[in-house]
Amino acid sequence: MDFRRQQRRVIKSEPDKYAELYPHDLQLYKIPPDGIISLDEFQDFAYERLQVLRIIEMVNIREKGSKDGLEELRRSVLSELKKFPELKSYAKLICATGCNSSEADVALRRRDHISHFILRLAHCRTEDLRRWFINREMELFRLRWFSLSNEGKKKFLQINGLDYKPISDAERLQLTGASRGMVSSNYEYYQVPFIEVIDLVRKRNVFLKGGYAFITSNDFISVIIYVYRAFLAHELVVTCRKLPQIEAMDERVFRDLNHLPKSYTGKDFTVVDDKAHVPIESLDSLSKTSYPMCMQHMHNTLRKEHHLRHGGRQLYGLFLKAIGVTLDDALRFWREEFTQKPEIDHDKFDKQYAYNIRHNYGKEGKRANYTPHSCMKIITESLGTQDQHGCPFKHWDANKLKSSLLQQNIQQIDVQEIMDLVKDGHYQLACTKHFEAKHNGVAPDGGVNHPNQYFEQSQAVLRGKQDNIKKETPRVKPVAKASTSVKKKKVDEDVWDDADFDNIEF
Amino acid sequence: MSDYDPGQLPDLLPIYYKRLFPFELFCKWLDYGGVKNGYFRNREFSFTLPEDIVVRYQSFISASEFEEEIKRRCPHKIDIGAVFNTSPKSYRHVTLLVPEEKELVLDIDMTDYDEVRTCCQGADVCARCWRFMAIAVQVLDQALRDDFGWLHLLWVFSGRRGVHCWVCDASARQMDQKQRSAVAEYLQVVVGGESQGKKVNLPGDRRAVEIIETQFETLVEEQDFFGSETKVQSLLAAVKDEGLCNEIKKALDKCPATSKHRWKEVVAVIAYQKSRGQLKWRTKNIKEELILQYAYPRLDINVSKGLNHLLKAPFCVHPKTGKICIPFNPKVVNNFSLTAVPTISSLINEIQEYDEKQDSVLNSEARQKMKDYKKTSMNKNITVFSEFLRKLEDTWRGKMIEISDEKMEF
Repeated sequence: MDFRRQQRRVIKSEPDKYAELYPHDLQLYKIPPDGIISLDEFQDFAYERLQVLRIIEMVNIREKGSKDGLEELRRSVLSELKKFPELKSYAKLICATGCNSSEADVALRRRDHISHFILRLAHCRTEDLRRWFINREMELFRLRWFSLSNEGKKKFLQINGLDYKPISDAERLQLTGASRGMVSSNYEYYQVPFIEVIDLVRKRNVFLKGGYAFITSNDFISVIIYVYRAFLAHELVVTCRKLPQIEAMDERVFRDLNHLPKSYTGKDFTVVDDKAHVPIESLDSLSKTSYPMCMQHMHNTLRKEHHLRHGGRQLYGLFLKAIGVTLDDALRFWREEFTQKPEIDHDKFDKQYAYNIRHNYGKEGKRANYTPHSCMKIITESLGTQDQHGCPFKHWDANKLKSSLLQQNIQQIDVQEIMDLVKDGHYQLACTKHFEAKHNGVAPDGGVNHPNQYFEQSQAVLRGKQDNIKKETPRVKPVAKASTSVKKKKVDEDVWDDADFDNIEF
Repeated sequence: MSDYDPGQLPDLLPIYYKRLFPFELFCKWLDYGGVKNGYFRNREFSFTLPEDIVVRYQSFISASEFEEEIKRRCPHKIDIGAVFNTSPKSYRHVTLLVPEEKELVLDIDMTDYDEVRTCCQGADVCARCWRFMAIAVQVLDQALRDDFGWLHLLWVFSGRRGVHCWVCDASARQMDQKQRSAVAEYLQVVVGGESQGKKVNLPGDRRAVEIIETQFETLVEEQDFFGSETKVQSLLAAVKDEGLCNEIKKALDKCPATSKHRWKEVVAVIAYQKSRGQLKWRTKNIKEELILQYAYPRLDINVSKGLNHLLKAPFCVHPKTGKICIPFNPKVVNNFSLTAVPTISSLINEIQEYDEKQDSVLNSEARQKMKDYKKTSMNKNITVFSEFLRKLEDTWRGKMIEISDEKMEF
């Protein structure tokens, strides 16, 4: 991204030039924008797009695993966007069908273009930011592709040089046999290297032969996403390298830009409050009162079997770290359990398991302070056949889940509601309902999206009760709530001090 | 076969590295013809020394330095890691050290079958459970070749209870983490944790069903899959569909309580329901799904996903069993015999026996010219390895010609 161009005089009359530059509602943002915008506009553009990305993220988390497809997702995103009048233009962009180019359309596309590039600047500094930004942009892109008309899709492929030739009828006939029915004779098929459609490969939703995937035109989006993702990832790294030069040119631009991503990302629970120190002796009772089911199961399995498989150790270990179990306590806790197994003595424990625990606390290896897993990560993880961890609502058979819920003295009617949510694939809503059932109907703020958030909020509710404070709402931290209420003012009051930025890796 | 005693390992290893470990072929493999600069030099090796001390980020300038170091330190285990952007040994503390390439590796371990196998548990293996491994090798070998078009697959016995596969084609070595994990998940058909009964949902791998089906009945009998009430319960949990479960239960009540009869009965019930059009959309592939759930390869996919994951090198000695991690030919995996795997002590005995026998025939000079491994039963595994290398060599020979053509140097 080159900001020098901002200061250049524009020669061509603008509307004409833009119509030529933006022939389609959807673009791959290959060339940086050109022209002059005011600083206010610059900021507005950035905030708007960021807000849209946050909304998409939130809706995606909420609907993750739900069986309703993109149509449902789009509807939810649009209804969220409607709550913010200033985001109307994005609602329009998300519904845009292709290449009807009125003057208003072109202006919108330009806004889309510029805002994308501003956010690139704001999200290129660290690996985490880049990953976040890329994933959100992909989700946005997918939604917009879905809205395109057939004509619009065709045009897009043409403009971007992605028009593939279908394979011949004879080839297709041959594949129909070889693929045991996966290649049907009713569609046209296109041959692409399998690495361009890895999301289809992952799910076995495509026929592979000799390193090539055979896709229908419906699958083009996978190819485009692949190309776009690789391109964007590369561009972000390049931008990051050039950042010092760009920064030197106009610091006003960067003053707010640097605060932008940080101020809206939900809490990641890496940092434990100094105050919160949880003794391991209290874990048994806490597990009954304040653990989400995934962690309850980890705790009970560990107590029962005196062992957890690797995935479970990671999941539960990081959870414990984040609720405030110290490293020494953690070592003691795991050692006491594991060494109850005849084949594990203290020596073996120290050799095989202690390293990983210290590693999780950032004391070994690259000394990163690892973040506990979020619901999204737990739900989407693919489990080995003997793994004990995972999201009970997603990974357990209905019978087992039901009897476990009943054992926790949850009312029959609530159990039924939870089971219905699970059936429709709303695992996090089911977990939210579980929270409500265990806390006299008090709902967790913003739904459950992190096991540690479940824990913290549960503790807050329970503390509220103990103090006998008659408050309507429990004292809870506004976790992940920020996602929808993006206000510019918040940034100015933001408490992130400069020290935080010293730690940013390049 | 002579017995191996783990206590002897420190005495035997120096002899093994001195006389038997195929350094020349080994380094030739990892150099990949020198097509890419620094491919060997920037490769991470990790040594496990006595007392389970692990030293990571070892790297070597040349094959001869590698050989010398191994002979000097006699590691109990050698692991191979990724090729980095620079030499891992000198720059291990530099944050810019990034893994760039590595073979795609598959790891199948018998312990992942504990849920279905009945003959042994945990670290134990026997000829009966080896059938699972043989099936795994056949299924995966074909998938890697047919689906992904990879040709250079090195299958290695892991020393105790499993097998490794090194996919060495350039396109496989260049894959990033995301691509590796997609391939791994593609190959992982049996999914779901402990708390899920039904773990296969087709459309899965129909070709695998065809491979497994021919040996499935033998496996059912050998493993006694459905011999007890609890085992029948887990079968029903895998069927999941209530209506079908009831039909199966009814039929099983009437039939003899052996695994063989029970499986026949289950197949018959499914076929009957199918012929009546009673199978629902979710159960229409149930027979195939059951076959896969009981016998499809169970991969430890985390090993395949990571670009930076270490894996034990071929020709290592397993410290507990003394067995050599020998490469084998996947086409005849059914003939692979666990008891015939050479151990470090058996090999050293074989050399001695050979030398003694030949003493009378050949003079010692001629004998010394002969490579020691040729005197042992490991010779055929080395042949498998050099055959694999010969094919691999063709790829870089082609590459070198291309490169020199580009440079216009003749």
